[in-house]
Amino acid sequence: MRAEELKGHLDALLLAALEGGPRHGYAVIEALRLSTGGRLDLPTGTIYPALRRLEAAGLITGSWSVVAGRSRREYTLTAAGERTLSGKRTDWRDFAAMVSAALEAKPWPNPA
Amino acid sequence: MAEPSLTGDYLAELSACLPASIVAELADGLEQTHRHYLSQGLGADAAAKAALAEFGEPEVIVAAYTRASPARRGARRLLASGPAVGACWGAALIINRAWAWPVPAGVRVLLGTALITAIALLAAAAFSGHYRPAGRAATAGCIGITALDLTLLTAIPLTSPAVIWPVIVAAAASAVRISFTTRTLRSVLTG
Repeated sequence: MRAEELKGHLDALLLAALEGGPRHGYAVIEALRLSTGGRLDLPTGTIYPALRRLEAAGLITGSWSVVAGRSRREYTLTAAGERTLSGKRTDWRDFAAMVSAALEAKPWPNPA
Repeated sequence: MAEPSLTGDYLAELSACLPASIVAELADGLEQTHRHYLSQGLGADAAAKAALAEFGEPEVIVAAYTRASPARRGARRLLASGPAVGACWGAALIINRAWAWPVPAGVRVLLGTALITAIALLAAAAFSGHYRPAGRAATAGCIGITALDLTLLTAIPLTSPAVIWPVIVAAAASAVRISFTTRTLRSVLTG
């Protein structure tokens, strides 16, 4: 799946990747890869700014640690992030059900 | 260890445009991506190339960080809320016939110029495509707007306006804006 197709859904995917517990950027990317069966085709570097954006919105919090002499930033889902994820899940299910119903509907007979 | 010349050049390009804390996080991610490809059996050079390809072009990353930067977000919010605060002060000044106040023409021109400059700086930050220039413009714009709010808050009550309530409403709007601008400034300077 390409970046433009993901517009509007990336935030939900990132929040879902953090639902299982705190993760750093690379672990979030790995979780997304696993959960999408490797079909996610995004420049990895753009995931990090998206995480900062979610942090600024108060949906996740970030904290620094030092691992093997290198600074690492780990992110945790906040209560507001959990509520947002729940809302996005509901919206997605409604949207997917609506589109599936429209795409899989049998064509009406031509009145002519 | 990542292949030094490839990843080093890549990180140097990012360092020229982004704060050190952001580059440190990207460097950690790049290192882990490189290790991932090494564990798949690639040589150091091929693994570094694959990691950089997966990360994407530096300009794409910088643009994404700039769009999400506290400077751009804060400047856009200040520009959006500016007309409401301005309308409050405008109403307070008109109701109190401010044009008849004994304010020297030089001071009026100075305040007008400061307001236009602050708005221009915030607009430059709000629409900038570069992280650091957006931060500098937002910082200067925030300082300018705060200075203007503080000037209005201290100077206008001294003129003893005849109708007080519009001044109280405008002063409250300015106080809220000062609080927001201070928070924005803090996040821009630490971001």
